[in-house]
Amino acid sequence: MRVLLERIAKRAEGFVELRYHTRTTRRISVRNGDLEESSSVRLTGVGVRALVDGTFGFASTSDLSEEGIKKAVGAAQAAAKTAAKAKRERIARLAEGSCAKGTYPLPTDDPLGDHPLEEKLELVLSLDARVRNGAKEIVSSSILFSEIEDEKVIVTSDGVSAQLFDSKPEIRVIAVAERDGDQTMGFSSVGITGGWSELIGRRSPEELADSASRRAVDQLGAPYPEGGSSVVVLNPELVGILTHEAIGHTVEADLVLGGAVTADKIGHRVASELVTLCDSGRSEYLPHAVGSLPFDDEGIIAGRTVIIDQGILRSYLHNRETAARFGVEATGNGRAFTYSDPPIIRMRNTYIEPGETPFEELIEGIESGYYLSGLGMSGQADSNAEFMFGVREARRITNGRIGGLVRGVTISGNAFQVLQSVDAVGDDFAWDNGSGYCGKGQPAKVDAGGPHIRCTLTIGGKQ
Amino acid sequence: MNVETLAERCEDGLKHAKRFGADRAEVYGETTRRLAATIEKDDLQLSESHEETMIGIRAFVGERVGFASTNDLSQLEDACRDAVVLAKASPGDPHNVLPEPAEIEPLDGIYDPAADGFTEGEAVSAAIRMLELAHSIDRRLILGDAEFSAEVFGRAIVNTAGLKASEQGSLFTYFALATAKEGELVSNFDFQFDASRFVSGIDVEPITRRACENALGSLGAGKGKSFNGTVVLSPNAALDLIIGLILFQMNAKNCLKEMSRWKEAIGESVAAPLLTIVDDGRLSGGVASSSFDREGVPHRRLSLIEGGTLSSHMHNSYTADAFNTGNTAHGSGSARSLPGIGPTNLSILPGEATKEELIGEVKEGLFVARFSGNTNPISGDFSGVAKAAYLIENGRLSRPVAGSLIAGNAFDALKGISGISEERERIYNFTLPYLRLEGVSVTAE
Repeated sequence: MRVLLERIAKRAEGFVELRYHTRTTRRISVRNGDLEESSSVRLTGVGVRALVDGTFGFASTSDLSEEGIKKAVGAAQAAAKTAAKAKRERIARLAEGSCAKGTYPLPTDDPLGDHPLEEKLELVLSLDARVRNGAKEIVSSSILFSEIEDEKVIVTSDGVSAQLFDSKPEIRVIAVAERDGDQTMGFSSVGITGGWSELIGRRSPEELADSASRRAVDQLGAPYPEGGSSVVVLNPELVGILTHEAIGHTVEADLVLGGAVTADKIGHRVASELVTLCDSGRSEYLPHAVGSLPFDDEGIIAGRTVIIDQGILRSYLHNRETAARFGVEATGNGRAFTYSDPPIIRMRNTYIEPGETPFEELIEGIESGYYLSGLGMSGQADSNAEFMFGVREARRITNGRIGGLVRGVTISGNAFQVLQSVDAVGDDFAWDNGSGYCGKGQPAKVDAGGPHIRCTLTIGGKQ
Repeated sequence: MNVETLAERCEDGLKHAKRFGADRAEVYGETTRRLAATIEKDDLQLSESHEETMIGIRAFVGERVGFASTNDLSQLEDACRDAVVLAKASPGDPHNVLPEPAEIEPLDGIYDPAADGFTEGEAVSAAIRMLELAHSIDRRLILGDAEFSAEVFGRAIVNTAGLKASEQGSLFTYFALATAKEGELVSNFDFQFDASRFVSGIDVEPITRRACENALGSLGAGKGKSFNGTVVLSPNAALDLIIGLILFQMNAKNCLKEMSRWKEAIGESVAAPLLTIVDDGRLSGGVASSSFDREGVPHRRLSLIEGGTLSSHMHNSYTADAFNTGNTAHGSGSARSLPGIGPTNLSILPGEATKEELIGEVKEGLFVARFSGNTNPISGDFSGVAKAAYLIENGRLSRPVAGSLIAGNAFDALKGISGISEERERIYNFTLPYLRLEGVSVTAE
């Protein structure tokens, strides 16, 4: 396929980017002991971008013959030409970056395909039973195992020619508990880049099931918190959510051009000097972060981008088009979900760098506050960095000690103000947002994390 | 690929599945050609074209079922084998059944042969028309996001019970998302959508105009008021606040899983008597109109809520078998997935008051153009921010307000509907009026 794409790219007029992508997605889902789904979906095709008269055109086809791909190249060029007549702001050039070359092998020695369907089905059924037998209060359970296997070849007429193999499995567990008409839900998940043993090794599936049922049961009868401004310690998962949802999207260069709050803020202080915030195509600090990719869907090597350096905004996230407009190098954030999606600016693994404060010291200094873990069922953030997230598990902190659970907690505020309020950054680190997808017109597998951090934000209780 | 060839490939799939050991099977195929032109940040962003054929195989071995799909038809045989392998490894379920063939009356008005000749240039022109119109209405307007898309598609289904059906369709969809900006002031965005099954029915103007006018109107929004009382929802806000709950509750699969409060509620009052909801898969010009569902069951018009009383759930063949009741032809989804359950063209029937009259009767309230928040589909609790909202004072929209939180329970809200407008708007496959609700908590931040 690589040879074929190289031949077509070489003969095409002007800039073309050819992306062959075969994706196999397998899903097994079980609810309350019943199999809901056992499926395998294979999606394969070539997506073509052509740049004509400073305008992109895009075409995709599931016809993999040379003739079929050439037809798609023609369609992309024709689309670009038509669009160019109406486009006001032309693309002057595409930025350079480190062009990917060569083959990047599967990131595991234990491929998912070596494990038979029966093994995965057995795991899912046993987890479902384990959740339902976990406590007498559990009334419902739901388990999803899914795996994505990718093969991609990206060739551009200006020097990219690379192939990659990738696999990203995940497990999600939901438990519902009920007592005296009071119903609560517990959720646990794990999602990684890697193979079977890395998935099982990251978090034991049994522990995943137990923690979902424990979370559901523990919240039964828990009181609701008082609303208002409060000192809190956020766990790595919640730090990741804040970093990705409320900060990360505001520094995607396409949204910056669309008027996000970070426009014109490069070089300005936007956070406490304790905060260094990055987005990386590599799995920094710990392996297997799910947003890891050797190169993006424009064929640019996906390295580490420092967005906020000790409180100062240093960089946006770019594709080749926006990087050229800003006069910087492409950061390797041009990503497409399937062959029929055009690449757009997306995050990869977004995180805050660990600091120096041990977890105990983060808690010790707090007279009255909360220890908050994980994202609850709802969350939203705008391009002005205003956010509101539901919290999965919240515990009171009183006189430097972690106490009882409260529930129904939401947190809200402006994410940059929250980062300004950070007065201590933990010395630990975790990736913990690997299951599920980020949505921006098309889905993307991303990860996010960091250390524990201490900051101030607005707590909402029961409506 | 034309629809006849697609139907033949589905027949091939059926033979493969049987050969690999399926004792029953269903093969569903879709072939699509799609053109689109998108506007972003006030400029043409991308012109694109796509072609894809996808085939999904449901294989049954006894009571066990497996599903595989592929868009690489050279791999069709492999996909059929995968489906059988998945079935053999799965636990059985007695409700895994296939529908028997029933007579399908062909549906006019879903395919326009002229759509075959629709060009990329025409798609770009339509997108540009939206942009130019926005600029001609007011210089403060920004068309942040807009898209015009033209699609011609074929669908085919065969199963081992002898069911066989196919049809062609065309669909043009377009949406506009507008924001107004004046100095430092930025309005909330407004989103509008419309569609046509025919080239001659394409008209991007009304939605563009509506999105622009709504965006302009919400410029300079101030602080709202806190109260517990009347809220008037636009069709858009109604979609996000209550329709998701209704669809979840009516879904027979959720009834089966004991997640729906409406499991035993047929014949009971679930909403104010003003409310009637109809789902019609054969609606003339409907976005989701087609003669048969994802499982090949003929579509028909069905009343879901009649005068506030729940009259039906939505079933596919699985849930119809489990509840031992009639299949309502709500098998939904694409060839990429197992049939689920979902609506076709869902409408709230119009009320008798105009939108002005609905508002005119309100002494103090809030008009909400868009709801940015969540409704819990199980508990019905909702909370979120009222976007592009206006204070209603003494029967008229007095001024735009920002940052008002609305919260309540959507089950209560359905019972608290005190008015439905005669005007309706189409958003995707929903046709919805303005709704007036009582007893909603509004908190000004």
